[in-house]
Amino acid sequence: MNRPPLAAAIALALLTGCGDSQVTSYRVPREKDAAMPAAVSGAPASADAMAATPVATATGPDLVWTAPAHWQAQEASAMRKGSYLVPGGDAGGDGDMSITAFPGDAGGFLANVNRWRGQIGLSALSQEAAGELVSHLDIGTLHVDVIDFSATSGNPAQRVLGGITSFNGSTWFFKLSGPDLLLAREKPAFMAFIQSLRAP
Amino acid sequence: MHPVLSQIRDLLVSLRLTVVLLVASLILVFVATLAQTNYGIYTVQEGYFRSFIAIWHVGPLYVPLPGGYLVGGLLFINLIAAHMYRFKLTWRKAGIFLTHIGLILLLVGELLTGILQEDFSMQIIEGESRNYSESFQDNELAIIDVTDPEYEEVVAIPESLIADGESIQHQALPFRVVPRLYYPNARLQLRSNVPNPPPAPETVDVGRQVVAFEQPITYRQDERNFPTAYVELVGSQGSLGTWLVSTELQAPQYFDYAGRQWKMLMRFTRDYKPFTLTLREVRHDKYPGTEIPRNFSSLVHITTPGGGDDRDALIYMNSPLRYGGYTFYQYQMDAASDLTVLQVVRNPGWLIPYIACVLMGLGLFWQFSYHLVGFLRKQRRSAA
Repeated sequence: MNRPPLAAAIALALLTGCGDSQVTSYRVPREKDAAMPAAVSGAPASADAMAATPVATATGPDLVWTAPAHWQAQEASAMRKGSYLVPGGDAGGDGDMSITAFPGDAGGFLANVNRWRGQIGLSALSQEAAGELVSHLDIGTLHVDVIDFSATSGNPAQRVLGGITSFNGSTWFFKLSGPDLLLAREKPAFMAFIQSLRAP
Repeated sequence: MHPVLSQIRDLLVSLRLTVVLLVASLILVFVATLAQTNYGIYTVQEGYFRSFIAIWHVGPLYVPLPGGYLVGGLLFINLIAAHMYRFKLTWRKAGIFLTHIGLILLLVGELLTGILQEDFSMQIIEGESRNYSESFQDNELAIIDVTDPEYEEVVAIPESLIADGESIQHQALPFRVVPRLYYPNARLQLRSNVPNPPPAPETVDVGRQVVAFEQPITYRQDERNFPTAYVELVGSQGSLGTWLVSTELQAPQYFDYAGRQWKMLMRFTRDYKPFTLTLREVRHDKYPGTEIPRNFSSLVHITTPGGGDDRDALIYMNSPLRYGGYTFYQYQMDAASDLTVLQVVRNPGWLIPYIACVLMGLGLFWQFSYHLVGFLRKQRRSAA
C-alpha cells in the first residue's frame, strides 16, 4: 500500500535528471532575419556604427582616476572607458586622451607600444630597445609602465604619452596623443593623472 | 519484518528525522541566500534547491550539503511514513492530517514546477508578430534549410551538445556538425580594432573578420552570457569549412550544400507556439507632470492558424494574459523603440500551491478551533 507514493516520488526524482539536451527538428514558416551587427557585416564600418558595436572591453570593477581640471571629459564609447579632449591652444591641434581596457594581456606590452609608434609613423622597436624607453611606476597596488616617444616628421610633429597597467585580469591603456609641443606642456599633468590611478 | 527493514522503517517514521530535515532545510535556505550574491537566483535555484547534493563554495573549500530534492524528498517520505505508522485518523487529529496533506502537496507541487515549468521571454516590436518565445538561459545552434521559399526546416542543437564537443549527426542534415572550440561566454570584436589580434582561425564568412574574447561566465540577472563556438561542418566529400557562431552575431550566415541553401546561427532557445501574438500598441504612461510610471501595458492581438481565435488582449502590470496553457506577464518595455518584452511562463502545476495553502489553512483552523472549543467546554464545566 505504501509502494505507489514511494515509486511515484522516485520516478519524479529520476525525471529531474533528464534535461532538454536532444537535437530537435521542425518546420516553421519563412522568417525575416535579424541584421548582423555593423562591425561584422563585412561592410566598411563607419565611426558611428563602431561606437554602437559591442566590443570586448574588460568587465568587472573599473580603475578610478582624477583628471586635470582643464581636460574636457568626452562621452565614453563602447570602446573607451574614459575619454578627454586636451585643448591645444597654440600648439597646432588638440590632444586626445583615451582610456581603454581589454581582457588578458591584449597582445603584450611590446606589440602595443609598437602599435602606438606605428600610429605616428615611427618604426617598431625590439624588446630590448622598448625596455630601455619604458619607465616603471608603482602606484598603490598598481604597476604602471610609462612610455614617451615623439615623431620628428609630420606637421605638427606628433607625440604619444602612454601608461599600461594590469588590473583584475585585464590590461588598461592610458594614451595621450597629439602635437609634440602640446604634449611637452601636458606631460606633468599626464604624470599627475597616472599617479592618481587607484583600484576601487 | 526483517530487522534491517524494520530499522529503516523506524528511521523514516521518526520525529527525529523530521527535526534533522527541518534544520537541514533552514541551513540550505541560509547558505543559498548567501550564494545568491555571487551566482544569481537561477543558478542557486538549480544548484541548491533543484538538486540532490548542493556544493557550497566557502573560499577555497567545497562543502557538500543535502540539496533541496534530497531534503524535500526525505521530508515527503517521512511525512507519508509517519501517517501510515504513527498517526491515527481521529477527529482530534483531523486538522494535523489536513495540514500535512497540504504540506505534501506543496512538496509535490515544487517538484512538478521544477520539472515542468518553462520560463521564456517574447520580444515584439509594435506592428510585428511572434509565434515563438525565447529562453532566458538556454541557447541553441540552429541549422536551417531555407531552400523552400515558404518554409524553413530547422534543426536545433542545444548548447550543451556543442559544449560536449562530440560530433553531431542528424537525419535532417546531409553533414556532421563538429564543435571545434566553445566558449560559454565571449564577446566579439572587429579584428582590425584589436591590438595585436591572435592569428585568425581557419574560418569562413564573418569568422575571418572578428576575434572572440572569452569572458567570465556572468550570473547576474540583468546580464546574459554570449556563448560562442567554432563549428566545422563535414559532408561526405570532406569539410565544408569552419564557422564562428555566437548569440552576439544575431544574424545567420548562409551557405549552399548538396543543392540546397542553408543558414546557421547561434540563438536563444526557441519555443514555437500554435498561435501568433501581434503587438498593436505598447504604452508607458506616467503621472501628469512627473516621471513616475503609472502604467505599462501591451495591447496584443491573438490569432490561431485555423482562425479559432482572432481577438485583442491587454496585458499590463499584475494582469497577465493566460492563453493556451501559457501566462504572459508584462516584463520589460522600451516605449521609445516601441518594444515590449513579455515573460512567458508555462507551469502545469501552478494551482497546486494554492490548493496546498487552502488545505493547510483549513487544517490549522480545524486544529486550533477543536482545541479552543475543548478548552472553553472544560472551563465552563469547571466554572459550573
